Amino acid sequence: MTAAPAAAVLDKPAHAVRAAGADLRDAVHAEWTKLRTLASTCWLLLGGAALTIAVGAAAAAAFRCQPGACTLAQTGADPARISLTGIDLGQAVVAVLAVLAVGGEYSTGMIRVTLTAMPRRLTVLGAKAAVLAGCVLAAGVVAVLGSVLAGRLILPGHGMTVANGYQLLSLTNGSDLRAAVGAVLYLALIALFALGLATAIRESAVAMGAVLALLYLFPLASALIGDQVWSRRLDQIGPLSAGLDIQTTVNVKALPLTPWQGLGVVALWAVGALVLGAVVLRLRDA
Amino acid sequence: MTTVTPYRSDLTPGRDGFAQLVHAEWTKFRTVRGWLIAVIIAILVTAGIGVLYGSVTTVSCAVNNGKWLYGEACMTPLPPAGPGGELVIDRYMFVHQPLAGDGSITVRLTSMTGLLPGPNQMGPGPSSAPGSGAGSGLGLTQPGLEPWAKAGILITPSLSQGSAYAAMMVAAGHGVRMQWNYTGDTPGQPGAVGPANPRWLRLTRAGDVITGYDSADGTHWTEVGSVTLPGLPATVQAGLFATSPDETRASAAFAGGNSIDVGPTEVTAVFDHVTLSRSSLPWRGDYVGAVQAGIGEYHQAGGQFTVTGAGDIAPRPYERTSQLGPAVTLTDYLLGTFMALIAVAVVATMFITGEYRRGLIRTTLAASPRRGRVLAAKAIVIGAVAFVAGVTGATGAVVIGGAIVRHRDYYQWPASTPTEVRVIIGTGLLLAVAAILTLAVGTVLRRGVGAVAIVIVAIVLPYFVSVTRIAPATVGEWLLRITPAAGFAIQQPYPAYSQVTATYLPVDGYFPLAEWSGFAVLCAWAVLALAAAAYLLRRRDA
Amino acid sequence: MKTAPRSDDRNPARTLALRTMEAAIEVDGLRKRFGSAQALDGTTFTVAPGQVTGFVGPNGAGKSTTMRIILGLDAADEGTALIGGRPYHTLRRPLSQVGALLDAGALQPSRRARNHLLWLAHSQGLGAKRVDEVIEQAGLGSVARRKAGGYSLGMRQRLGIAAALLGDPPILMMDEPFNGMDPEGIVWMRGFLRQLAAQGRAVLVSSHLMSELEDAADHLVVIGRGRVIADTSVASLIQAASGDRVELRTTARTQATTVLAHAGATVAVTGTDLLTVSGLPAEKIVAALTEAGVPFAEVHAHRATLEAAYMELTRDSVEFRPGGLGGSAS
Repeated sequence: MTAAPAAAVLDKPAHAVRAAGADLRDAVHAEWTKLRTLASTCWLLLGGAALTIAVGAAAAAAFRCQPGACTLAQTGADPARISLTGIDLGQAVVAVLAVLAVGGEYSTGMIRVTLTAMPRRLTVLGAKAAVLAGCVLAAGVVAVLGSVLAGRLILPGHGMTVANGYQLLSLTNGSDLRAAVGAVLYLALIALFALGLATAIRESAVAMGAVLALLYLFPLASALIGDQVWSRRLDQIGPLSAGLDIQTTVNVKALPLTPWQGLGVVALWAVGALVLGAVVLRLRDA
Repeated sequence: MTTVTPYRSDLTPGRDGFAQLVHAEWTKFRTVRGWLIAVIIAILVTAGIGVLYGSVTTVSCAVNNGKWLYGEACMTPLPPAGPGGELVIDRYMFVHQPLAGDGSITVRLTSMTGLLPGPNQMGPGPSSAPGSGAGSGLGLTQPGLEPWAKAGILITPSLSQGSAYAAMMVAAGHGVRMQWNYTGDTPGQPGAVGPANPRWLRLTRAGDVITGYDSADGTHWTEVGSVTLPGLPATVQAGLFATSPDETRASAAFAGGNSIDVGPTEVTAVFDHVTLSRSSLPWRGDYVGAVQAGIGEYHQAGGQFTVTGAGDIAPRPYERTSQLGPAVTLTDYLLGTFMALIAVAVVATMFITGEYRRGLIRTTLAASPRRGRVLAAKAIVIGAVAFVAGVTGATGAVVIGGAIVRHRDYYQWPASTPTEVRVIIGTGLLLAVAAILTLAVGTVLRRGVGAVAIVIVAIVLPYFVSVTRIAPATVGEWLLRITPAAGFAIQQPYPAYSQVTATYLPVDGYFPLAEWSGFAVLCAWAVLALAAAAYLLRRRDA
Repeated sequence: MKTAPRSDDRNPARTLALRTMEAAIEVDGLRKRFGSAQALDGTTFTVAPGQVTGFVGPNGAGKSTTMRIILGLDAADEGTALIGGRPYHTLRRPLSQVGALLDAGALQPSRRARNHLLWLAHSQGLGAKRVDEVIEQAGLGSVARRKAGGYSLGMRQRLGIAAALLGDPPILMMDEPFNGMDPEGIVWMRGFLRQLAAQGRAVLVSSHLMSELEDAADHLVVIGRGRVIADTSVASLIQAASGDRVELRTTARTQATTVLAHAGATVAVTGTDLLTVSGLPAEKIVAALTEAGVPFAEVHAHRATLEAAYMELTRDSVEFRPGGLGGSAS
């Protein structure tokens, strides 16, 4: 009930004035502490990685080709893309994590504590983005490595053999490495995209709806409409469909964008969302 | 001693009925402006995407001299439509003569043999056959029968394509059938036909009614079916026919490879014991729907007729890869359903999680302690709101979008009015049940983000996986049977005909479950989630 | 009365800031509109170091809005709010300049209390050691590793106070810190606030209950409908409300009334043997009564309660007035 002696409070060493870089470093440290001390973070990252690997393995195991029609030319199937099918689900988990990272602060009002401690709002957003991207990259590496390994072990048993004209999935070959690295980067970009939108929207349920709508609507519309011209346009601008380009290793020339252009489109979405979030964060009352 | 008179309110007690509870929840809903706005946005987006698509579509079908052909140019000449308005395939070898007034035709079918395309005769596009010539003209060498190769007897008022008809036939892999007016199909005796296993077929006309019979021995007859062809003229054409549809082989590949190969087939049928009431004229062979003269062939030797044909007498399912090229479909107009679904899911989630966040649930449950009824009232309100939003939005999309497409002279694959009504009402029902499912999941989780993510992923992702074919077709098919995404079946715009072999892919608007069965699966999920929600709501502290 | 600003020689920057400033917080002409409601309408006041400043006003008067603007959370439509002469958002390591407790419930329930303080400490470049210090200071030692969601309102207030003390700031701002505290806690809180002020800190405490501030505040800023109604020391406010009245206890009421009226005083009967006399100092009253031989038991200067003074001030600026019990009958 009694307060500690005043001297104990007052005589602690004071901090020196530091450069602006220290601000960002402290903000990153704070956001990292914030993220890691929520149990949900760990579960979402682990669960997301496990789900991604499981779905990828299931997709690989479900691959079938008719006897005698198993060659690459006949099936046109892409071992990398099949193995990385789980990314489609994994990105939803990543989006949940990102939306919660900021939406959870708004729903509880803790954002005011955060902005009182760190009044430079863009620094806060930058720190959040950095920490989130770091966590997702780490989990993404696990998820993608697991998926590629599962694909490598399972697919040859389903006709995807060297004899049939396929490459064995391996990170030592350029296109597979690009697909794997691209998938990890894709997950991080989706996290940033969701973070930006959630910062702009604040209400986490609405933000979640908006993120999933923007992810799934473009490829759905592109697949369903009979109009090839619009279908191709939608594939070029949608974050999910453009992002899938980076995971493609077969028939790359037929893609509506080159793989890295596709990832660039996702990056544009992420940057756009972050800018929107930054503007709203700067201008609106907390 | 003073006695205290307990306080008595002068307020007339309100009725404590379920209707009052629903009214209270409705008041709660409509007084949050953001939710109303979200619902209005859902309506506008659903209708708006339909209108937008109708306005911008440049449905294209083929490259002609380096130029895309758009719109109705692809459909020239327009395919024939059957008596019901649906597009049909109507090409067959017909050996016929007129039949005046009532009467009947009887034959014995003793043999069906056929030819299938070899591997190098399958193409990624639709085959140009059967216009390039029948019989040996198709250049087919590999013996075999397409399961829906048909041979039998047929009565029709006219040889023009799309005419009404009734037919008794043997389908190579599907036994005896009675078929009429393209979409009608009733099975008779099963089993394949052969010299040791002949089939007797009979059609009898009495006024507008035509009755079909089959028999194994020509003595014991069984009625297969009886159909009315309204307005049948006094004199009709009756005779023997043979036709065999294109063979479609969908490649099992996915994730980049999803080609569908098509090749022509033909069938040769041998008939004898041909009897036609008041037969007087010689038999005449015509290839109905011939693109050029001299297609198909028949030989008559004594009482034996040998008829060879290729083609089909059947409704034409919508396939974007078909010969006709893609057309605007009802599915296109309704793309906005996904946006509406997501908007409705978000609102439904917040309708319950909003109560938990600020402790409003305690006020709600203090006002009406029977918790199950609170949940039911909420479900009714959110379901009704979503239904109205879905129906309004879908009506706008289909009606206005369709009007724009017709105005721009683009071609919309025809759908009957009852189908359009079912699709529109179905969109409302889909949204309503999805909203209730979300409400229930939200009650279980009490967390907005989780509920929105789970519901959207459970409803949209399986559908997404199926239509984009990132997973093998069988996986996609099963996902559309067992996940809540099965509910999309209620939006199926065109029927999948069991008597027509086609790929019937989700991407073309076909679902593995029938319209209402698919919807029932979604309902089952909603009921399951509601039960869990009611249980937890009662059991947990508020 | 004025306490010299606290000096800390090992922190030249902070010392300089505090030495050169007259006021720790300066609020000047703040205006803020929410839709059709004018929340702040030219709010102006300053908060001085070394004392507890009570920030009082009825519900909806604009107390929380003012505090949010001071902390840079909300933007004012007009006017400025400065901390040691600088806008809040330009402060580096702001928690070492201002500690604030706005809404004790503003934390994520699934995080443990200590971790909540830990991320705040990290944001200021502080370590876990400092976190454990403030946990002890706020009296949360035994429950710090529990999830904050399970805390009672009083415990959350203490957690909020620990957060405010984290940077050992010379300025403290607390919005309704007494909310949800039990009597023991309120007594502790008063002493704690006084102690913080005695160390030379500027302490701004808002409340809508003047009685809570009775023994805690030195200075008062009274706000109503977005305007400062009074900006004065507690002593002078009470004096103003008390007037120069004297209370007198006597069994001979009528006699005393006559005698005092003759002496030029105004007398009011306030109880069975109680008179309130104004217009005559106490010593003259005693002299007059003794001279006339009127018995009296007790004479003391009337002292208005802070509550009464406050009610007097805010009578016209209460935003909401209850309709009274009666409901449907009326």
